[in-house]
Amino acid sequence: MPQIYIMAVITLVFSVALWGGLTFLFTGHQKKYFWLLLLGLPLSAVANLLLKSLAIIAVGRAAHVQPGLGLAAPIWFLAFKVLVTPLVEEPVKVLPLLLRQARKMVTNQASALWAGFVLGVSFGLGEACFIAYAVAQNDPYSSLPWYAFTGFLNERIMACFAHGILTAVLVIGLQRGGRYILYGSLTAIGLHLFLNAPTVMYQFQWISYELYNTSIVIPFIVLAMIFERMRRATRELKDDPSGKEIVYWQRQDTG
Amino acid sequence: MNAARVKPTRIFQPRPSYGWAWLILMALIIIAVSIAPAAAMGVSSRNAILTLIICTPIALAFLILAFWFPTMRYELEQDQLTLRYGLVLRYQIPLREIRTVRRRTLSLTIWSTVRFPGIALFTVPYADVGNVKMCATAALNDILLIETDKEKYGLTPADEELFVAALRAQMEG
Repeated sequence: MPQIYIMAVITLVFSVALWGGLTFLFTGHQKKYFWLLLLGLPLSAVANLLLKSLAIIAVGRAAHVQPGLGLAAPIWFLAFKVLVTPLVEEPVKVLPLLLRQARKMVTNQASALWAGFVLGVSFGLGEACFIAYAVAQNDPYSSLPWYAFTGFLNERIMACFAHGILTAVLVIGLQRGGRYILYGSLTAIGLHLFLNAPTVMYQFQWISYELYNTSIVIPFIVLAMIFERMRRATRELKDDPSGKEIVYWQRQDTG
Repeated sequence: MNAARVKPTRIFQPRPSYGWAWLILMALIIIAVSIAPAAAMGVSSRNAILTLIICTPIALAFLILAFWFPTMRYELEQDQLTLRYGLVLRYQIPLREIRTVRRRTLSLTIWSTVRFPGIALFTVPYADVGNVKMCATAALNDILLIETDKEKYGLTPADEELFVAALRAQMEG
């Protein structure tokens, strides 16, 4: 058995513990979102094996671009390949909301944030499995010991978080309705592109490996800031623990 | 004559927690993550060595913090309260500057700090009260929050009633 599967299991355990724990803490110890973690698991494989590859093949054939050209392909086609990931993945991640039970959970912006976040994390977990499978098919990697894949562990844990935020943005847009559906979609797709930018620039050999490793952190920090702003904006009054406050002493002139 | 009135320093311990175990766990995770690439690729790998060089001091810092865990204490003196943790943390709070003393549960943010279940040290941002200088054996629940004109401090004395009574007596006395 290729040993990346061992690291994939460790990644899943860490990701669920970390991002599930975060959801549990931030939602005031609610467990109702956790079942959504199952729904997104197959969606990365669906997006990658079916939708993305089909779209790229279809467009390539229509424009008579030969497959397997790599960076030698026309620039517009390369741009399309960059765009196709967020264009396909963002709508796919919210597909579980077609289920009535899942949709019923999204009653306000706070529940939209957490339902979206968990669905995105779920997609990220499935993506980790899919990538582990893809790497295992690659001969040079299949012989490496499991502990050689710590880069996979770090990257996939953070990717789960990023998918969670992007899906939360979209689900909040869907919950608000009207023009916010468009705003939410465009923001999620734009942020996904921003997140992928260092990887794309490295693949196009525009930046060095060292610069890629450094710059990959920037989108995650931006996403974390956006997440924190959304979380504060959608915080419900019942989440505010200050109601249980005990004032022991207060200086008289403070009013 | 005034010297006779100076009260001796009273020392209060924090309430017990397993914060030290979390610090050790973090150190072990960092060590494991940093050693793994070197073990897989060999010490001749530049990236593996770089990872080790970056991660080793961080893991050591966590281990040192865990070692100092029993040194956390609160010293109530004549005109100031001092929060101590090992050699790295020493917050002095002049009693005359204290505006409020209250106990509350604080709201989490995602920003990374020295804050784990059972321990919170240094400046920690909270969603509801902003930045708090923590020297506590809890990160969120039942924090004794001391607010001065300039700063907020978070602590968790084991005997909270006794501590608050002593603090009030010192401030009002």
